[in-house]
Amino acid sequence: MPRNDKKMKNSQLYKGSLNTIIMKLLEENGKMYGYEITQKVKAITQGELNITEGALYPALHKLEAEGLLDVEIEKVDNRMRKYYKLTEKGTTETVNRLSELEDFIRNMQSLVNPKLEF
Amino acid sequence: MKLSKEQIDQLFTFTRQHYVEWYDLQSELVDHLANSIETEWQENPKLSFDEVLSKEFKKFGVFGFMDVVEKRQAVLGKKYNGLVWYHFKDFFGVPKIVLTIAMTLILFSILKISQYSEWIVMWLYIFLILFTFYEIFKNNKIKKEKKQTKQKRWLFEEIINQYGGFAGAIIFPLHLFSRMFYHSEKYIGNDYWTLSLSFFFVLLVLVIFIIFKIIPSKAEEYLIATYPEYKLKTM
Repeated sequence: MPRNDKKMKNSQLYKGSLNTIIMKLLEENGKMYGYEITQKVKAITQGELNITEGALYPALHKLEAEGLLDVEIEKVDNRMRKYYKLTEKGTTETVNRLSELEDFIRNMQSLVNPKLEF
Repeated sequence: MKLSKEQIDQLFTFTRQHYVEWYDLQSELVDHLANSIETEWQENPKLSFDEVLSKEFKKFGVFGFMDVVEKRQAVLGKKYNGLVWYHFKDFFGVPKIVLTIAMTLILFSILKISQYSEWIVMWLYIFLILFTFYEIFKNNKIKKEKKQTKQKRWLFEEIINQYGGFAGAIIFPLHLFSRMFYHSEKYIGNDYWTLSLSFFFVLLVLVIFIIFKIIPSKAEEYLIATYPEYKLKTM
């Protein structure tokens, strides 16, 4: 059973919010690299939400192409590390997307638990 | 435990074996794999390098790196189209619009005055096709040489040198031109047709000029803007 639960947590429902999750993390942490983002999400959600590698990098590359993220390269140990950070446009967009997501969550709560309205 | 230089090289080879041919993507994936291997080793120090690698690679799913590569190609292809559009628009802004209009009017005048206008159109078009083939051939040769010398390859550089999907577009109006050639009396006698044809020809020349000359001449600039690591070639 717990295995099933874990799978559920990575369902379609989260997909639409992946970009917003990434942007929110970057807003809080400044610059981050891909692996760091997956680990951070895992830590915050106590392992319940697992961003897959196959979804993370396409999302990062798309946000970068849209001009919402900027990249920086640093040499770490024997390798190069690519850091992502929000551009000015990205910072403004993060505020918009977060408020949109919050509205969504609120509406979903009212729909799923109508009693809470009273 | 940190990965050694040899193990990092092994990871680069691993990405190449899994169809990631471009250095920009390779280096990002190598860092990701290296991080996850190092983390895994903290928990299971007894596992061998290969065991941990295959375990971590599985996390990318059944298609491995394909998803990442395909999406990256799509994103950069779009970026390239944006560049073409940006330069194209430039020819309709001040001051270059003067050039665009002048070229159209000159071609229009020549076609109107000359008795051999259909031949002029045909030869101009053949010249454009030959020029396109020559440029494609030249670039393929350079690409082959680069592959053999095992130099770093950059995805956006290859998109620039393969002209997005534009190269085939040059052949596209062939049917239109051949039709016009055989029914020239119907088209060439009409001033509106001649003017439209001249304008269309100028547009074609502009697109070809942008993708084969302007963008490749600025390739270095665009690559540096896309890849901060492009300058760190020493690594």
